[in-house]
Amino acid sequence: MSEPSRGSQISRRSWLLAGLVAPLFRARAADSLAVTFDGDNLHIASPGLHFLIGKPLQRLTGGGTVVYLGRLTLFRDPFVTPFRRTDARFVVSYDIWGEDKFSVTVPEPIPRTVLLPASAAEAWCIENLAINASGLPPDRPFWLLLDLRTVPRKDLSQVLGDSGISIKNFFIEFFSRQPGTDDPQWTRPAGPLRLADLVRTPGRGKIG
Amino acid sequence: MRYAWLGCLLLCRLLVAAPQDADVNVNTRYTVESVILSGQGWTTNLRSETTDKISLGLRHQLVALIGQKLNPAGLDSLAANLKKELSAREVTHRVVRGQNPEEVRVEFEVKPAKVSADLNLDQFVYDSKQGWSGSGAAGLTAGQHSFSLGLVSDGDWLDERYAGFRARYEDKRLLSDRISFRFQVESYHDQWNSSTLAELAARPGLTSEAYRARQNFQPSVTIALAKPLTLEVGTRMERFENEDPAAGTVASDALITTLRFHRRLEDSDSQQDLDADCSLHAATRALGSDFVYSMRTAGVRYQFHRGKHVVTDNAWTGMILGRAPLSDRFVMGNTYYLRGWNKYELDPLGGNRAVHNSVEYRYGPLQVFYDAGAIWDAGQQATPRQSLGVGLRESAFSLAVAFPVRSGHIEPILMMGILP
Repeated sequence: MSEPSRGSQISRRSWLLAGLVAPLFRARAADSLAVTFDGDNLHIASPGLHFLIGKPLQRLTGGGTVVYLGRLTLFRDPFVTPFRRTDARFVVSYDIWGEDKFSVTVPEPIPRTVLLPASAAEAWCIENLAINASGLPPDRPFWLLLDLRTVPRKDLSQVLGDSGISIKNFFIEFFSRQPGTDDPQWTRPAGPLRLADLVRTPGRGKIG
Repeated sequence: MRYAWLGCLLLCRLLVAAPQDADVNVNTRYTVESVILSGQGWTTNLRSETTDKISLGLRHQLVALIGQKLNPAGLDSLAANLKKELSAREVTHRVVRGQNPEEVRVEFEVKPAKVSADLNLDQFVYDSKQGWSGSGAAGLTAGQHSFSLGLVSDGDWLDERYAGFRARYEDKRLLSDRISFRFQVESYHDQWNSSTLAELAARPGLTSEAYRARQNFQPSVTIALAKPLTLEVGTRMERFENEDPAAGTVASDALITTLRFHRRLEDSDSQQDLDADCSLHAATRALGSDFVYSMRTAGVRYQFHRGKHVVTDNAWTGMILGRAPLSDRFVMGNTYYLRGWNKYELDPLGGNRAVHNSVEYRYGPLQVFYDAGAIWDAGQQATPRQSLGVGLRESAFSLAVAFPVRSGHIEPILMMGILP
């Protein structure tokens, strides 16, 4: 049974917190997430978000492997109390002999690999970060926050090849630490949103 | 039946479990064409060249990549090993297209440490006849420049026991990568064995008087003529302070030239090293020297390395024409030449003619050796001598017992310590 709706009432304290948190995302406001709903899951898109850049790109074009960890968090207040979250890892490499194409592998739940140009590869990663919206009343506001980071080289062995509990533990530990100066991080907020207002897309199965 | 299905499901889950890096990096389908190792002013293509900069084991690991499918995850650990061995600030690697389609080149770039300091124990050896000898140095390297300052107390190498300091400056790239410059300063106080002093009194004029201290200033330039061949040219300016301060100092100033050759041949499971050198020291009055002499030496060293087996042959000869100071005369019966013999028994003043050959076999840490040689002065009859030894040697650590081969009683000499 879904949690009873408390209507669209947001407390004054939450709005105050939202006011404090919102400036943190101001710089990224222009790149905020586009959110769609397929009846089960919330899907995001961020055409302006480019993460195949800088040092990770340098590592990729040098033949290396870069692992991106993505986390999409659903809030029922303005970025204060997480209601639900979904994690995903994307193993990226650059085809030395290919025509400027990147290979992206999503190891879970069933490994899938695509070979795409940079912007398409980025979009494909973001598309794979969907979150289940069950228990979210259609008329109640909610917020979404995307957090995308690269895994430092020293931790690569932990995220390549591992699965199950150990990778889940790694996600928890990884997102609780501050990223290093050499580890880029991309965050994108969205909200307040309401399911009732979202563009409905055809169902794409149960995710998150 | 239900468990069988469950088992199948688990197996399928394992089969489709998260892939290793070897499976997820798209470049793992390409074959490694060559491995390039480069640093400041040097590049080595390990497909066609060898390098002495790294250990044999690491070189084999790098060469083993050639012809195999690329494993990007393995490159990180190789880069870490290179960084450790070369004391580098950073070692980066990248994969680029090879000359043929579907082949790639792996490039490691070594970025040297901006400033590095090290402390080395060059030698620390105990000889049951001559006691302890040791030398160590503290070094500072900044780019191509290095400076070291060391302390020495040595009763092994020469007929004197000398103790003091040694300082050295080196510029590894003087105008060009092929030229290096070195300036060495040494200052020692000397002690003499009674048999040396007695022999000096008995044979006046053969060499210098016993001195209480000596200093040496030695600037030199080394030029890489061709890759395995180098030429060192410099001067050696020595000052000897007489035992009697009223007698003042005497000088030995010589031009020095040394030609060195090094060649390494290796295949998949063996390695051969050939080193050869010849040198000429010429001291003349024109340089302000009180001693007039010329010293010629030549040596060849061959080493064959296969698995745990190492065979080494080291041949060396030298000749001095004229009157050279005691510190420049040849000495045998130490931990390098005619091991097991007592140098004061062989020739307490050293000699101006010498010839020596040493054959050594090692299996892992076990070592046996056979030394043969002679030391004498011009006009004397040369007496060939031999010695045998057994011991343990691991890297620079050595423990050996050497026996002089002669009729009568056997008096072994124990040698142990750190040898270069």
